[in-house]
Amino acid sequence: MALALWPALRSTLRHVFDRSRLEREMEVELQFHIDAYAEDLVRQGMPPTEALRRARIEFGGVEGRKEECRQSVGLRLWDEARADLRYGARVLRQNPAFTAVAVLSLALGIGANTAIYTLAREILFKPLAVPHPEQLRIFSWAQSKQGHVGPLWGNFDRAKNGETLGTPFPYPLFLEMRKSNRAFENMTAFHDLYRLTANIDGTAEALDATLVAGNFYSTLWCRVIAGRALGPDDDTLSATPVGVISDAYWAERFARSAAALGKTIRVNGVAVTIVGVNGPEFHGPKAGGSPQILLPLSLQPRVSPMGDDGSLLADNHFWWVVVLGRLKPGIGDAAAQAALEQSFRSALQATLPGKKAEDLPRFVLGDGRRGLDLSGAFEQPILVLLALAGIVLLVACANLANLLLARSAARQREMSVRLAMGAGRWRILRQVMTEALLLATLGGAAGLLAGYAGRNAIPSLFDDAWTAHAMDVRPDARVFLFALALTLVTGILFGIAPAWRATRGDVQSGLKENARTSPGRSRARLGKSLVAVQVALCAVLLVGAGLFLRTLSNLRHLDLGLSIEHLVLFQLDPPQARFAGRQRVELFQRIEDRLAEVPGVQLATLSSEALLAHSMDNSCFRPTGRVAGSPAENSTWVNHVGEKFFDAYAIRLLSGRGFEAGDRADAPRVGVVNQKLARKFFPEGAALGKTITECDRDATASPILVVGVSADAKYSDLREDVPPTLYLPYRQAEELGAVTFEVKTAATVASVAPGLRDAVRAVDSDLPLLDVRTQNQQVEAILSQERVFATLATGFGILALVLAGIGIYGVMAYTVSSRTNEIGIRLALGARAQEVLSMVLRETSVFAIAGIAAGLIAAFALTRMVTSMLYGLQATDPLTYLGAAFILFAIALVSGLIPARRAAHVDTMQALRHE
Amino acid sequence: MTKPLDLLQGTLDMLILKAVSLGPLHGYGVLLRIQQISKNRLEIQQGSLYPALYRLEHQGLIVSEWGESENKRKARFYRLTATGKRQLLTEAEKWNRMTDVIGGILRTVPEEV
Repeated sequence: MALALWPALRSTLRHVFDRSRLEREMEVELQFHIDAYAEDLVRQGMPPTEALRRARIEFGGVEGRKEECRQSVGLRLWDEARADLRYGARVLRQNPAFTAVAVLSLALGIGANTAIYTLAREILFKPLAVPHPEQLRIFSWAQSKQGHVGPLWGNFDRAKNGETLGTPFPYPLFLEMRKSNRAFENMTAFHDLYRLTANIDGTAEALDATLVAGNFYSTLWCRVIAGRALGPDDDTLSATPVGVISDAYWAERFARSAAALGKTIRVNGVAVTIVGVNGPEFHGPKAGGSPQILLPLSLQPRVSPMGDDGSLLADNHFWWVVVLGRLKPGIGDAAAQAALEQSFRSALQATLPGKKAEDLPRFVLGDGRRGLDLSGAFEQPILVLLALAGIVLLVACANLANLLLARSAARQREMSVRLAMGAGRWRILRQVMTEALLLATLGGAAGLLAGYAGRNAIPSLFDDAWTAHAMDVRPDARVFLFALALTLVTGILFGIAPAWRATRGDVQSGLKENARTSPGRSRARLGKSLVAVQVALCAVLLVGAGLFLRTLSNLRHLDLGLSIEHLVLFQLDPPQARFAGRQRVELFQRIEDRLAEVPGVQLATLSSEALLAHSMDNSCFRPTGRVAGSPAENSTWVNHVGEKFFDAYAIRLLSGRGFEAGDRADAPRVGVVNQKLARKFFPEGAALGKTITECDRDATASPILVVGVSADAKYSDLREDVPPTLYLPYRQAEELGAVTFEVKTAATVASVAPGLRDAVRAVDSDLPLLDVRTQNQQVEAILSQERVFATLATGFGILALVLAGIGIYGVMAYTVSSRTNEIGIRLALGARAQEVLSMVLRETSVFAIAGIAAGLIAAFALTRMVTSMLYGLQATDPLTYLGAAFILFAIALVSGLIPARRAAHVDTMQALRHE
Repeated sequence: MTKPLDLLQGTLDMLILKAVSLGPLHGYGVLLRIQQISKNRLEIQQGSLYPALYRLEHQGLIVSEWGESENKRKARFYRLTATGKRQLLTEAEKWNRMTDVIGGILRTVPEEV
């Protein structure tokens, strides 16, 4: 009766929550009936006592009727579930050791999965914290190799088919598209500036800034919690420079003081007034970013001059702003794409006349709910982490299934009695499942707590040593649902085998006194298969851990061609508006000289690119006189360095000289090439004394004289081969951006940093030292992913190993105890203890070896997927596989040894009496 | 007087609905009214009345209220709801159709086939 569903549910719930009232009323009501009937009987002439007796008899059993009434209002299922729960709780309380192991292993399994899911959600799935993020679209383009997009300032990628995919657009093009827009409510633009130099109350510090268009807030609908948002009036060249800071920055730098509003700070030399604070949930338009201040795009020429005259606002050729649009409700992606493609084309043709249509890039509309999303690179690693954590949980499940199975065997008698007394199999099944789910819930709750407590632990593994990360991952409802679903699935998974087994018992034999041996055998078989599965899963984890550990070790012990010891690094990025061209070089030189005088500093130098920091300068050079080939062929990695650079890194000079004080701007241009470049440019003979020219210069430009050849040394990355590298003296550089200073010292960062800071301040008080760290820490930072994988995979592997050990011990202990009798007979007939011992160990090794073999085969298939994450070894590395097999086998034997020894020392008399 | 008939499976609910449709009744009253209308030709298990009453209330076909009985005792009175009224009509109609069909079949004589 579907129409009665709602009143029925309401009535059940009412009774559940006011149970005592139901019982009271039922009692009164039934008593009234009996009394009323008795009174009628008395009226008909029956004596009172006889009447009451008759009334009771005719009414029937009161308690039975009450039970039927309870059933009528749907309380029976509820009552039974409660009874099951109470019973389950009692059983768990009676076996504290079992319960502790079960809950702990589940908590670790579910906790690990929850923590990694939280991370995955944070990094891969969480949308921008703005209303209706699903309406947002991000604009991008794709172009073929012959295309004409560029110069680029922003993110672009090369696709497999050779196309370039990018998100930056020229600002005038964006304005043009916005003007002709019909499909979008609004579209806005931004550009991530990363780090600028700020001066707040006389202190120089770094400030993470993003430039946004005037309609940024009205397009994204993000809110401010204090002051006001930026508006179109702020985004004009004549407007007073203003900015909106992030909530985190407000808290960290201004202690949430109201005085921060209206405060004027200098950003790259420009006075900017803080007018508002963003909501704490909003972390800027780039996924994973967290700009501390949002500034109007119109500030670009003053804050971050670029291009020929510093301003990009009217530049049709320079691609730099990222565009986000909010789609009008009811407009489909295809229609929007078509409309934009057309307006993109016509805008391009208007701003870049004379280009052939086929050379123009294609417009691509993408999902913008995460803003500018560069997290694609994390996808595979996080999926691998989820898989690893999933395997741990499976091992925990198998383990619990086994423990419950052993328990259900011990309770075979109880089950048989219940079946014999008429309990339905479904009822028994439900009871065993209730117990499993109770355990799962306890484990899940503990796991959720563990996952919450450790929510920042895994992200912090990715952190570098010198950045203060105030990372606070916030698990949301989805994380909770994930943990809940995981708990239910887990409970069902490990409950199903014991539940099935419990209802299969043969009542007859189950009730017999010596029934222990007969169902024991098949139970042990099921148990052993479960343990074999555990061992197999464990093998997969161990192989994974081994591969990641060896990858990390290979990378750490790589021959870099340079020494990374005793070097302290920091970055300086003086505003171009204050220090450009010559001035900049002179500033750096003064600082370099000053640093060398700091006590404890052996030598000081600098380079335009920090080494092993994933930063690079890639340009086209060619041997003078030779015609340039394709850009890829001529791609040379350049680093502008100081005189002591080669000494600081102990990069050997194979011939010629390094740089000298005489290599000044007014002296002839010189350079040092590494062996790779020497061989590439001058395969026929010595590079020394030859000259090199920039590809885009004609023959009249003064070429670079090769004055030295250095040994090959790594540049930006550990994994990549040494690239063809050209070192140039920074003092001859025409343009320099941010530079990294390297200081050789035996002292620690903490003890030498104040001296370095003072030295820089003595030259210019407005320059903050950025990222002060050792070169060693720098290398560890680019190894963060490898380190996280090695750490987590090893941790998971050990966890699984412990669980597998418990599983093996459990199943063998059960086998031995159920065969005490047989073993006693063997011993009585003259078997030696040694033989019994090896018999048990042999049995252990049979299923251990089966599990290991299955696991290695599975690992062989699965580890192919992580090939790209490995270094210096194959995914099929025999040593790793052998190692994993050996460790597992050793653990299996050790776990089997305790039950085996117990078997060997069975007291013959007692065992025989055991019958 | 012939021996009272045992109640047909599933008809008790309908009879209770009919009984309370004539005015609010407590459980014992329901029993008396059914016996009175049927002139004691139906045998009803007294105790079985209550699970049925609870079920009907659970389904929202009747509602109960505590009140005072004829002999000044606290008793629970049941009364039909709008849903219950509709349900009684459909059930009664179904029952009539059913008895027609069954009766028709049972009255059939050999010539008619």
